[in-house]
Formats: sequence, structure tokens, C-alpha cells
Amino acid sequence: MTQPVSILLCALGGEGGGVLANWLIDVARLADCPAQATSIPGVAQRTGATTYYLEIYPIQRTELAGRMPVLGLNPLPGRLDALVSSELLETARQIANGLASNDRTCVISSSSRTLTTAEKMVMGDGRQDDGALMGVIAENSLRHHVLDMARICQETGTLVSAVMLGAIAASGLLPFARAHYESVLAGKSASAKASLRGFEMAFDHVSKQKEQAHYLEKIWSPSFSQSEPLSSEQDNNSNFNAQAQVPKQVLAEFPADMRKVLALAYNRVAQYQGQAYAQLLIERLRKIKQQETDGASNAASCPVTAESTRWLALWMAYDDIIQVAFLKSRAHRWQRVSEEVKLQEGELLKIYDHFKPGVPELAAMLPVSWAQALLKWDKQRIANGKSPWSMPIKLARHSVWGMLSLRFLSLLRVFRPYGHRYITEQALIEEWLSGIGRAFSVSPLLALEVARCGQLIKGYGSTNERGKENLLHILHTVCVPNSAKSVAEQISAVAQIRKAALQDEAGQQLDQALMLHGAPARPIKAQPILWMKNPRLKSNP
Amino acid sequence: MEVSFHEEIEALRAGDGEIFQGEGILAITKGLLQSGVAYVGGYQGAPVSHLLDVMVQAKPYMDELGVHVEACANEASAAAMLGASIHYPIRGAVTWKSIVGTNVAADALSNLSSPGVTGGVLIVVGEDYGEGASVIQERTHAYALKSGMCLLDPRPELGQMVNMVEHGFRLSEASNMPVMMELRIRTCHVKGQFVCKDNVAPRLSKKNLLQEPASFNYMRLAHPPVTFAQEKRKVEHRLPAARDYIVQHQLNEHFQGTTHADLGLVVQGGLYNTLIRALQQFDLSDAFGVSRLSILVLNVTYPLVPAELTNFCKGKTAVLLLEEGQPEYIEQELALMLRRLDLQTPVHGKDMLPSGGEYTAEVMADGLLKFLDKHRPSAIPESSRNWLQSNAQRRKQVQAMLGAPIPARPPSMCVGCPERPVFSALKLAQETVGPVHVSGDIGCHALATFEPFSVGHSILGYGMSLASRAGVSPLMKRRVLSVMGDGGFWHNGLLTGVQSALFNGDDAVLLIFKNGYTSATGTQDIINTPSEADKDASPDKRQSLAHTSKVIEATLEGLGVKWLRTVHTYEVAHMQATLTEAFTTDFQGLKVIVAEGECQLERQRRIKPWLAQLKASGQRALRVKYGVDEDVCNGDHACIRLSGCPTLTLKDNPDPLKVDPVATVIDGCVGCGLCGENAHAATLCPSFYRAEIVQNPKLTERLFGRLQQAITRFLQPA
Repeated sequence: MTQPVSILLCALGGEGGGVLANWLIDVARLADCPAQATSIPGVAQRTGATTYYLEIYPIQRTELAGRMPVLGLNPLPGRLDALVSSELLETARQIANGLASNDRTCVISSSSRTLTTAEKMVMGDGRQDDGALMGVIAENSLRHHVLDMARICQETGTLVSAVMLGAIAASGLLPFARAHYESVLAGKSASAKASLRGFEMAFDHVSKQKEQAHYLEKIWSPSFSQSEPLSSEQDNNSNFNAQAQVPKQVLAEFPADMRKVLALAYNRVAQYQGQAYAQLLIERLRKIKQQETDGASNAASCPVTAESTRWLALWMAYDDIIQVAFLKSRAHRWQRVSEEVKLQEGELLKIYDHFKPGVPELAAMLPVSWAQALLKWDKQRIANGKSPWSMPIKLARHSVWGMLSLRFLSLLRVFRPYGHRYITEQALIEEWLSGIGRAFSVSPLLALEVARCGQLIKGYGSTNERGKENLLHILHTVCVPNSAKSVAEQISAVAQIRKAALQDEAGQQLDQALMLHGAPARPIKAQPILWMKNPRLKSNP
Repeated sequence: MEVSFHEEIEALRAGDGEIFQGEGILAITKGLLQSGVAYVGGYQGAPVSHLLDVMVQAKPYMDELGVHVEACANEASAAAMLGASIHYPIRGAVTWKSIVGTNVAADALSNLSSPGVTGGVLIVVGEDYGEGASVIQERTHAYALKSGMCLLDPRPELGQMVNMVEHGFRLSEASNMPVMMELRIRTCHVKGQFVCKDNVAPRLSKKNLLQEPASFNYMRLAHPPVTFAQEKRKVEHRLPAARDYIVQHQLNEHFQGTTHADLGLVVQGGLYNTLIRALQQFDLSDAFGVSRLSILVLNVTYPLVPAELTNFCKGKTAVLLLEEGQPEYIEQELALMLRRLDLQTPVHGKDMLPSGGEYTAEVMADGLLKFLDKHRPSAIPESSRNWLQSNAQRRKQVQAMLGAPIPARPPSMCVGCPERPVFSALKLAQETVGPVHVSGDIGCHALATFEPFSVGHSILGYGMSLASRAGVSPLMKRRVLSVMGDGGFWHNGLLTGVQSALFNGDDAVLLIFKNGYTSATGTQDIINTPSEADKDASPDKRQSLAHTSKVIEATLEGLGVKWLRTVHTYEVAHMQATLTEAFTTDFQGLKVIVAEGECQLERQRRIKPWLAQLKASGQRALRVKYGVDEDVCNGDHACIRLSGCPTLTLKDNPDPLKVDPVATVIDGCVGCGLCGENAHAATLCPSFYRAEIVQNPKLTERLFGRLQQAITRFLQPA
């Protein structure tokens, strides 16, 4: 018995999944085959995941002699002929629903991701691992074509529906000729031409199956992680290769496998506050290395030193008004924005930057006593029920005045070392470094975990404050000397608490992790509360 | 309106013998016209919005036929409209989303069903059940039973669906009962074809008016004492008349089985195709629906015809009833019929199939397996058993490979949605006033219940947010916030919420989203939709026009609302301050914040052609996009937790020293301004910028721009 060919299309709301279903129905009609499509979208469910289901009977009506096949409205798990999807996670979702099987289903999927809100809102990196999703496709398909549909859309200026149609056509899934497909796309409008271009490119990609092989190669190659060497792609990014170069003899002091990260770190710090500051970085690293190697000069690898290098450089080059003003004023940045907005010849670009410096940002640049007075004043304001003082600014980067302001601010760099924040940060850095030193006396693995805690320090304002408080709390309560715990327990405690600290803003998971490992939760901070008046309660006490 | 039905309107004109190709719900619409319907009403909602939308857009053709089309204020007003058919021999049809719409309409439906109808009445309900549904999972079936309305559930094949529309009107006239037709989501959206008949212009219509009102007839009122007689008529006359019609016209279909004719399947018409596909997986049916088991297809699920069912069961080895949803009304009635006749045919249903949830092909196959295992194990091919087992195994394997469950991807507010900034402001306001109980409502703003906002404690129905706070706010120390869309306000909220709160002198806070349309159902117009004249008159098409109508404000003032603030939604800091004020002011009584900002979908419909035209004709045009500086972004993603905009997403950190992905704004950003507003209101990191791209700049602007660029280029570091 000839069964209908069943196709499940997965798309995100607004991507044109309905258009694609209509095109396929039209193609079937041209070829005179019975076809039926249905879908589950609401009228306005945009950007959510949605599916379209088609059944096409691969025998022409003329041969059916008036008999009409009964076509289904629901996909049959494991008996699906094709799963076509514009997004990698959605492909995996339908496979997890059991729809595709390795004895029947042809999976055509984009390799591109549209991240879900749940993945995006995580404080660190909450993105799904593409490799695992690809693995799911490979395991659960008779054959599969994976191509970067988002890129094809961009290159050809069309929507993903045309690209998906091209891939379906090339897959040979349906008994229709290429001309059938192309004729439903044909038209004189610019968008019809773009659709055809997208169709063609996808058709070629699938025909050659090159993309698939290429993608698999990329997926199965080892991915970049913290302890591994930096990838060449990132290395070549001119934006991060400042001119200052680390002296060769300094490089030679450190193991070969960390020289790349050392060079980057050196350049970052040198750009930030000059050669002398970069020397301070090297001094600090030398100290860690000495602790790690116990004086031996030619150790093959120093994992703790290497790990510390990255975080130490980032911490030393902490973000402040001066640094932000510098980054915003760079020529490179103007160029990047021009590309991002696809600036055309003859168009004029205006860039407005949103700043909102508050008292802490200003105090950072002042001498300690002034800064403390200013911070005290702001604290008093908050205690009186007012909001913290701050100044929203929309600065026109393209204007002469805007550029002069940014340049003036970045020139304040020379005063930075006399500022309140610089002094505070150096003290905290030293505290962290001595924490690493103390940990060495317990175990080099514990030292490595403490070094990794440098990851907690990032960003501006409250994010940065929170990171520092968490780091200090870990240093003071978890890595205490003479701990009753075994070394292995201490190591895993630090690792788990560090991960928990990166989970949520309120620090609930961090507190839980702390208590789980026998450490006290973070102290509760005083916070002003705005009372809601409720006269009903007065009249009825 | 979001969708333009130009082609579909043409298809509605198709005449005898022409082939109609298109969506199920539009085939139903064509069926109404072929039946000589005189008036049509309803309230929009998936999956039946298109029925009314296409009719509203096809006004010139409807005028030509003399058909009256009314976009009703809510389902109750739509159902009440059917009162026209009580006295007059005119056919009427209404449509809405069920179960919710039927709930709203229930009072009018009861009062319609009791006196009964003279002209045929068809109520097309979208049974929003199973995958893709957006409402509570209940059966419309219950309403047919309790009020005495026929319920059609046609086989999802366009020709049969249209056929049942035509029969529906006749059945209604033959029995004096209103007739409901339930269409599942996938049936409404099914794309197929059927052979048309000519449309019939109604005999009495807008072109051929009723000359005189009907004479007074107390029997036609739903008022005692005749209501007692009417109840008797339902049972003694109407139901038998309906059954006679069903039998006479063979509305239910009986397909005799080939090899296992002694095994019977009874199925709701709407599930027929899925059942055939399930049977095919056991080699028990061919591609054309020729089944080895006998099948009785119930295209009419109420009233059932006892003789038809008992005859089908008589002599069968066993019968399986496939009835979707719960309670299993049909199964109970069938069991009772057989018991009364003392027929011992085993009847299976919910003992082999799940009580709740959609009957997909796999669910049915599982049930069939159990049925055959018990009564004809020899008919089960080994491959079918393996297939069902392997599905379960595969799901487990994939789950194990992925480790964690795949993150959900619920729908979210559109790019540039004017409602998003309000929830940003609410999140910020709660940082100072503390957590607030938020009673939610139906509409786009209900999407704020998803991440990143996760806002809303309850949803009690469309326009019910203010009413559903009445028991909470008097007992709660802090004030309670009710959010409502303008759609919900007009649908229900004005009376059940505002009027009630004012009358009782309640201390309440209501926030109304005034975006100008019922956007969640497809941006249908409402009474405060900006007029075409205002749209034409606005020089900058980017501008929100929600402020051009003051109907909501005038209504509230007229009712006596004393504390009323109108705030543009994009002013996040202003909205935050206004919310804080509403939560903390000494003012006792109803406080209303009108959050004004036109639906972005409707704005884009104006903006896109306008910008293209400006660009093409060489006039100055401004394009706006927001962005994030990748080297300034701190990788903390606080901006995303405060916005959730689909175009604000992540990319790998280009800085080789940093590991966390950075935020980025991708193509598709409409430059709504929320990123900038949030950066200021919430003190986000200074990585956001607003880029304005001037196309076809004027000469002076170009020269000045060049001068500026020359100087800044000189000043900027590498």
C-alpha cells in the first residue's frame, strides 16, 4: 500500500512556516498529487515554537481514478518521512518528542540557533550545547542535511521559508521536479527573486552535502574552554591585539602553553594603564608561579598561574568611566557599528551612547577622603527614601562635542591610580592572590579552584560589587585554614559554590550551596524599604 | 487587521462546480454563504478568527448579497444576536473560540435554546483543545447537552465540512434547536479543496427587509410559565425531530469492515482521519480509508440516535468508542442505551484510552493495541507493537543524550511591542515598593507570565483582572495591581471590573494597555482604534496613534474615576514613577493608569511601505537600530532579564580573555527605544547605543555631517 509522504515543518512564529506549507501544497497541486496541510498556530503567537504538518500522496490524481486518500492531521512518531526545521533546538525538540526515527526520517535542519529566553537570561552562559543537539539528529535520522539557513537567508536577502523549500526540493523526498518548486516561487517582485536565490543556494547546499560534512567537522573538533589554548579565530581579532608587546625575556620565563594568554593579558593591562602597570601584572604572576613551582624555573606547565593570568588581567583592567570612554571613542568601534547597521554609501550615521553614571562611578575617580564623603552623602539620600543620585546621559558620539567629552574622560587615565577605586581594587586583588597562596599550602588543586574564582569579578556597578562580595565571602568562609574538611571536600566545595554564585542575581543558589558545604550564607544587607500607606489599617487598628 | 484576505474574498465568490482551495475555516465561511445566511456575528479568537475577519473585510460583497456582518463586543452579544431567528425565518451564524467564548455566551444560549428557533441557527465554535490551545481544557459538548443544542463534529474533509454546514441550518429548522459545530484547531487550519455551489442571497436580508414585526407570542419568550412547557418540548418534540433528520439524511456515516466486520469502532467525526492513519499502522486500513474493522462516524455527536448506535453494536464481538476529552458523555449514554436493551456487546472507551488530552494518532494506536490485544490479538502485526515500543524507548534515549530537558519556547511579545516596557517598569517599581500581587488578564500582556518577567498571580478570564482582585485587595496589606488590555476592557472589564470597583469604593489599581486593537487575536479593530483619517493625517508614520482616541479616558471619567493617569509606555522611568505613586498614594479608591502605545504590528504595517517609499523617492528617511558594544558589555545579561526582546540576544564573546557570551542586537530591531530607556531607568551597563541612519540626507545635513566626521576622525584613537 502506498502511504502518504508525511512532513513536519518546525518554525518560529513569524518566520513564514505557513507560507512554506502553502508553497508545498501548490507544488503538489501542480504535480496533480493529493495533498493536505494543517497547523497549530494561534493567530498571533509570535516567536514561539510552532509546527505545520503536511501529507502528500505521491500518486497523481489521474492514476487514482477518483479515489481520494484519507490524509492525517497529526504526525505519527517514528513514522515521519521528513522533519524540516529552521532552528537547531526546535529540531531536537521534535526528535525528543519521538517524531524522527533512524529507520525512516530524513531530517533537514538549520544549524543556526535562535536562543530561547531561558538560555539568554542566565547570568553566565546558559546556551545549549550545539554538539549534543547535532548528536541527537545524527542518531535519530535515516539521513540528514544540516545547513546554516540563517546565513543563507542573510546572503540572499530572503526569508527562511524559501531556503527550507530549496532544501526539501534537493533532498528528493517528494516525487516533484525542481521546476515545480521554482514555479511556485516565480514572480517579478524583488522578494520573489530573493526567494529564488535562497531556494537555489539551499538546493545546491543539500545537493552537494558539503555543508553537512563541514559542519560535522566543526562540531566534533574540540571546543574552546577555559584551560585550553585560545582559538586562532579569536587570536586574529585585531580589536584585542593592542600594540604594546610583552618583552620576549618575560615570555620566556613562563611555560610555553600559557604564553598566548599572557601576551593578551599583558597587552590588555598595558593599554589600560601603561607599561608600569603591566609590569605589576608580571610581578604578581611571577609570585604565583614561584609558589606553584616552588622556585623551579623551567616547569613544563603551571596551570594555576595560567588560570590566574586571565582573571588577574581582567580584574586589573576593571571597567570604569575612563575605560568605557576610551572604548566608545575608538575608530574601530565606529567601523564596527557601521557594519552592524549595514551603512550604505551616501547614508549618514549618528550614534548616541546611553550612560548613567552614579555616585560610585564618580567617586571611583576621586581621592579616598573625597570619595568617602560623596558616598556617605549618597547613602544618606537613600536612607531618606530618595533614589540614589545618578545622571542619565545620551551622548552623541558622532558630534564634535561628544567626541571631545569622550576624549577628555579617557585622558583622565593619568589620574586613575590616585583614585579611590584603584586603591580599593588593588587591595582586593592582593587579598585574592594571597588566598591563592594560602591554598597552595593545602593543595595545588585548591589553589586552582581559588584562582578560578577570579571569574566572579566582572562588569560594572552592582554586578561588580556583588562579584567582589561573593569572592571575599568564599575566601573568608570556605577556604579557611585548618578546615575540618578533607582536601578533596574543600576543592569540590569551592568549585560548586563558585558555579552557584554565577546562577542568579539574588544569590539564592549561592546561599544554598554555601550552607550545603557548611559555610554561613552571605550576611543580610540593610536595604531601605518604601512603606505603602494603608489608611484602612489606621481607622481599624 | 493583521491579515489581508484579498484572495480569500475572491474565493468566496466561487460558483457552482468551481474548486475552492484553502483553509478549513474559510470553507466553512463559504458554506454559510451557500446556505443563504442572512446575518453573521461573533468574536475573534483562535482558531476561528478568520471566519469573521474575512467577512468583515468582504463587506462590499456581503452588501451585494444583503448579508449583515457584525463584529460583536463579546460572545454574549454574538449569541444574543441569534435571537433574530426565534421569530423570523432567517438564517444566522455566529462564531467564537470555545470553551471560553461559549462560557461568556452561555446565558444568551440558554435563553435562545429554550424558546427554540424558527430560522436556522449555526454556532461555529473553535474547539481550542490539545496541542496549540491557549485556554483551559474543557468540552463544549456539555453546553449542547444542558441547553439542548445539536452538536456537529464533521469529518475533517472540506467537502464534508461544507456539507454539514448546509445540513446544520436545515437540521436547526427541522428541530427548532440551535446547532453548534465544533471545529478542532487542526481542522480549522487544514488546507484542502472542495467543489463549490453557488452562493444563495438570503430571502429576507438587508436588501429585502422584514416588513412588519412578528405578532406577540408569549411562547417565544424565555419567561415563566412557558419555560416549563419549553423544557418538555425539547424532550418530546425537538430531540425526536432532530434524530429523524439525522437518520433521514444519513448525517452519521457507517463504513462496513472488510475482514473484521464484527469489531466496531465508534468515532467522533473530527477524529476520523487520525483514526484511519492509526489503523493504517496496523495494516487495518488502506490509504483510502477502506477499513477491516467496521466504523461508525458520528458527524453529529448530540443528539445521538439510539437505534443507530444499538444496531451498530448488535452482533459485534466488541466495540471501541473514541471520544476525545472528559467527561465521556457519549460513552456514558452508549452504555446506558445498551444496558436498557440488555445488549451484552462489550464497549470500551476510556478504559483503553486516556481520559484527558488530545487523541493523536499515537494515542489512538495505543488504544487500538489494547482493544485488539483483548479481542483479536491475531490482527496485530509484530511491527506495530515494535513501533509503539520503540517510540517510548527513543524518547528516553534522546532525553538521556541531552541530559537536561529542552528549554521551552513559548510565544513572546513582538519586537517593539509597547507592552514590554510596562513590565520592565513594573519589575523596577517592585524593587522599591516590594513584591506586588498582580492579577493578570487575557491578551498579549499575558505573555508577561513567561520568562523573563514571570508576572501575574491569576487569570480568571477575559477582562476579569480587576474583578478578580476584589477578594484579594481588601485583605492584603499592599495594594494589588490589575492589568488589562483595551480589548479586555471593552469585552468585559468595564462593567465587571471598573463599575464594580467604583460602586464598592474599592481601593484598587488598574493598568489598561491602550494599544488600539485586540492584538492577540490578530489586531482586530475596536472602538478606540485610531481612525483611518488619523492614520492618513500623521506626517511621521512611525508615531504611535493610540492617543488619538480618548474613548477609554472619557468613559472612565464619565463613570467617576478620579485618579487617572495616561503614560506613554516607552517612558519607562515615568511609568515606574507612576506605578510607584499608585501603590503608595494617600488616595483611596480606584486608580487607573492608561498605558498608551499603539500595537507595533499595526505600526509596522504603516512604517514599512512609508520608509520604502521615502527611500525610493529620494526623500530623507531615518532608520533606527539599537546595539550593544561587545567590548563594553559585561556578559551579565541583566538587560535581557529586563526586556526579553527577541532581537536582544547573545553571541560568543569576541574577547579571547572573557568567557561569558555578550549581548547583541540582531537584525529585526525596529528601534523602539526600550533598550535605551531601560539602560537609563535601571542603570544597566553603558554598552547600549542608539544608531540613527539617515537615508538621503539633505545637502546641508550631509555637509555638516562630513565636517563633524572629519573632526571626530582626527580626534578618535585607533
